[in-house]
Parts: sequence; structure tokens; C-alpha cells
Amino acid sequence: MNTFKLIRLNMARKRIRSVLLVLSIAIAFFIYALLASFEHGFKGADSTSERLVVSAKAGAAQLLPISSLDRIAQLPEVATVTYRSNFRATFNDPKNFMGANAVDPSSYAAYFEGQYNFGEGQIAALETQRDGLLVGAAIAAREGWKVGDRIVLNSPFERKLDGTRNWQFQIAGIFEGTGPAIDTNFVIMRYDYFNLGRQNNQDTVANFGILPASGVSADQVIAAVDARFANSAHETQTRTENDFMKAFVEQFADVTTIVQLVVGAAFVTILMIVANTMFFAIRERTLEIGVLKVLGFSGGYIMRAVLAETLWIFAIGVTLGMGAAYGAGIVLSGPLSTIVPSLTLTPSIIVNATLLALVFSLLTGGLPAINAMRIPTTAALKGA
Amino acid sequence: MTIQPQENPGVRLQGVNKGYRIGNEQVTIFDDLDLTIPEGDFVAVMGPSGSGKSTLLNMIGGIDRPDSGQITCGFSKLNTMSEGAMGRWRASNVGYVFQFYNLMPMLSAAQNVELPLLLTKLNARQRKERVETVLKLVGLGNRAKHLPSELSGGQMQRVGIARALAVDPKILLCDEPTGDLDRKSADEILEMLRVLNKEFGKTIVMVTHDDSACRFAKRTLRLDKGKFVESAPITAQAA
Repeated sequence: MNTFKLIRLNMARKRIRSVLLVLSIAIAFFIYALLASFEHGFKGADSTSERLVVSAKAGAAQLLPISSLDRIAQLPEVATVTYRSNFRATFNDPKNFMGANAVDPSSYAAYFEGQYNFGEGQIAALETQRDGLLVGAAIAAREGWKVGDRIVLNSPFERKLDGTRNWQFQIAGIFEGTGPAIDTNFVIMRYDYFNLGRQNNQDTVANFGILPASGVSADQVIAAVDARFANSAHETQTRTENDFMKAFVEQFADVTTIVQLVVGAAFVTILMIVANTMFFAIRERTLEIGVLKVLGFSGGYIMRAVLAETLWIFAIGVTLGMGAAYGAGIVLSGPLSTIVPSLTLTPSIIVNATLLALVFSLLTGGLPAINAMRIPTTAALKGA
Repeated sequence: MTIQPQENPGVRLQGVNKGYRIGNEQVTIFDDLDLTIPEGDFVAVMGPSGSGKSTLLNMIGGIDRPDSGQITCGFSKLNTMSEGAMGRWRASNVGYVFQFYNLMPMLSAAQNVELPLLLTKLNARQRKERVETVLKLVGLGNRAKHLPSELSGGQMQRVGIARALAVDPKILLCDEPTGDLDRKSADEILEMLRVLNKEFGKTIVMVTHDDSACRFAKRTLRLDKGKFVESAPITAQAA
């Protein structure tokens, strides 16, 4: 026998209580991990603070003229600039949505270098094929598309010059993300094909993407771009991609606050349950604590043993909860792919959960542990 | 010049005062109590409830402290020890036997006996050997893997004694060790204590309400209102 076994046997002495405790902790961390993954994916898991996005100052939904491209490109702070128009398309079923970007292929590829693997010749193929379409691997897998297929996408928002909403494409390539968390639930088409074919909003873009020149900070680029368009008819707001995605999502709902409220409520409830249970579990053992002290075990040893027991309960609960969240992420990533492109348990979520578990185990185990340490032996022997 | 080994002074209480505050009232338990228990003695302490028997036992074992006065066990002055030092001293010098056994319910007999050995430097193999030895000594070699709930009262008390003996302490403090047992089991336990005293030289201080238990001790001290009112040798052990 050793101290660890003693702690394990203490945990096992009331199995149902221990199992319920572990389950309640697991559920709390399952909710946390899943919502955090959801929040992360919803905000744009692939966004970075290195890439900048220029949108209309009046709001991200407002369009900018394509003529602004040259004025941005002329800035010495800018290394690469690209542009895109976005619309949501459907395929076969009006509920089968997918994101579609109309872009300049070569600058778009340069802007997202390192994030998407466009494969050999895909960009060149798109540049030579006017109605070409690059398809994300996730969509290709879902729809069973392959290179050379001819497909028709329907857009509820973008009517063609002939009045129809059906856009014909031939698949020129299937691109992949450079990592498992990279969203590939969208398609890429040529901007000129889209722009000349649409009935409304011609020669406009949703936003521009910028990579700063070497040695130039994001703040310098932001200041330069927004100054260039200040007091013009099309004032801009330049932000990092992270900030842009966050603002975009918050147009619909403050996801962060929702997640914090739900997770906070779950954690407070669990915290009270665990603290209460641990308090009474240790109190039940007051006599045994007294006996341990009589045998010569120090108050510090007993305190550490109680804390270790709480820590183990949390460790098992967190592991189960995070494991369940990981499994749920895999199961839900398919059905939710059009809403949350990347439902992934990121390292930061795992680290946060671990730290939270550590803090909560100290909070819930701390009071009974200190009580166990401080109770006089004679009082403990009376079961006080 | 030769140095003579110093004789172990046993347990000595000098001018011990002890009281408790109950509400606004100060209750005196001991007032200037003196007591000497030589090494190898077997003392039964009797007295009515509230006379201070258990408090006396707790103070000798370093579980409770006197308000004033000195308590010496062997060459250790308990008064001057910190809580931590007192715990370490108790772990290697005192074995405690409780009336209601106070075994850990989730541990087997062997694991209960091994518990105090976790504080020693013995490795797992040495601890296992020691546990087997003391369980055989108390006649429970074949019950090592049994949980307390699977043992009778007498067997549980034997495990309690084995646990107290595990670290081979000089002093055994027994707080009504037969108070929860039938006569037959009680006599077996008392006989075991007598053997431990006589054959193994353990100094035993036993608190009891049981007059017949005193037959197994070398002498009996009667406590009343914090004073020893009588001290008498008992014939059975003396014989």
C-alpha cells in the first residue's frame, strides 16, 4: 500500500457518490469544451492577426468599389492585396448551403499561403478556365464531387444577368487545408466570371485582404489604409482577420457572452455540488482523520491527501468530459459544418480546461482540506 | 572511566494542570498531578466518567497538552515539542488502542496494520514482512485480507493491537480496549496485552471501567476529580 492507493481506496469507498461527482464534473467540462469549440469554430478558427481585412467603415455588410484595389496596392506598407465577394450558394437542396468566394485566384492564393494547399496547377487551372471552381475538400467529400464535374450552384442572393439564380461551374480542383482545423467548407470562383455575370452590385467587393510589407506592423498598415480612404465616399475600416471575424460573428449574436454565461452557470452549479459533497465526505471521516493524526500523520499530509483526492476526482471528470466533447465534435462537425466550419478541440481549450479543473479542485477541496489539517486530534477523535 | 547506560525514566508527569472551558465555566481536570510509570509497567487507570482518564492517556500520548507542568516519556519532553515533532515522536514511540477499534473501513486488516508503517523508512517488502509478523502475533495471520466489516469485535481489536504494535513502540496506550467486547473476547485481548507487557517489555497504560480487566495489569490507579485516590498492585499479574 502507498499514499496513492490510500487516496484511491478513499475515493472508492462510496462508489455511487464518487461516480456521480465525476459525472457532474464531466458534464460541466463537456459543456465547456463543446461550447468553446463551437465559439472557436464560429469565430473563424483559421483567422490570424497577421492577415488584415479592409471592409466598409459603415459596416462589414456594405460593399466597397473594386477601384479601391489600386489605391491600396500603391501603399508602401502593403505587400499583397487581394479581394473577394462572398455569397451563400445552395446545391440541389435549398437547405444545403455552402460559402462561395469570388476572388482573384493568384493574389487570393498568396494571401492564404500556408493555410490552404491548392495543389499543383489548381490556381493556374482556375485562371485559364473562366467558369472554373475550386472546391474545398470537405464539400467535395460531402457531395462526392471530383475534378471535371459540371455543377450548378443556386444563389438566393445573387441573380444573374439573364434573371436566373443558377450559376454553372466546372470543377477545376479540390483544395485542402494545411491542418485538420482548417475550414474547407467553401468554394472559390473567379471574380471576373461572377462580377460580369451578376445583375447587381457590379464592380464591388465585400472586402480586401492585405498582407503587410516586411518590417511593417499591422497597426501601421491599418493606419495607412484607413487614412487613404478617410473622408472619401467609401471610408474603410481595416482590422486584423481575428477582429474582423469577431465583429462579423457579433453581428448575429454575442457568442462569447452566451458561452461564458452557459459555462459559468454550469460551473457554478457544479462547483457548489462538488464543494458541498467534498465538505460532507471529509466531515464523515473526521474520526478517521483523528486516528491518522494519532498514528503520527501530520496535518499537512492529511491536507495534501484530501486535496489530492479532489484533484483526482476532477482529473477523471475532466478527462471524461473532454473525451466526450472530442467525440461529440467529430460526430457534430459533419451536420454543423455549414454553421461552424471547424468544431475542433484546440490545445488552448484543453489547456484552459486543465487550468480550470486545477483551480476548481483547489477551491472545492481547499476548505475541507484545511479543516482536516487544523482540527485538533482530540476533537477529531470525538468525531466533532 | 566507564559510562553507564542511563536508565529509561519511563513516563513521568510533574505538576500537571489541565482544564477545559465549557461555555463560561472553567472546569479543572487535573490540578498539580504527579505520576511516574516506570518502563515496562502495566498500569490500569480506573475512575468514573469525567475523572480525566482519557485526558491522561491523551497527554501521555502527546495528543493533548497540559496547561502547565511537565510530561516526560523516556528522554523526550513532550511539552517542548511542536505539533509536527510530537506527531513524529508518537509515530515511532506510541501505539494507541481504541475502544471502538477505529480501523479504516476500506482497508483490509493487513492494510490497516501497514498504515503507520507508511511513515517509516521501511520499503514495501519490509512493511509486508512486518505486517505478517504482527498479524501472526495477534493470531490473525489468516485474516490479513479481510475487511473490518468481515471480522468480529475481538478480531477487530486484535487488528487494532497489531496496528499499534506495527512500529514496535515502547508505550502502548489503551483506551478501554475491551469496552466493546464480550467477556471471552475481552479476556483474550487482556491476556494478549499481558503477554506484550511481560514477554515484550511494552509499557502499557490502559484506561478501563472493567474491574476484572485490572487483574491483568501490574497495578491499578484510581482517578477521581483529577486526583489519584488509590494505587494498588493486582495479584494476577504480580503473581
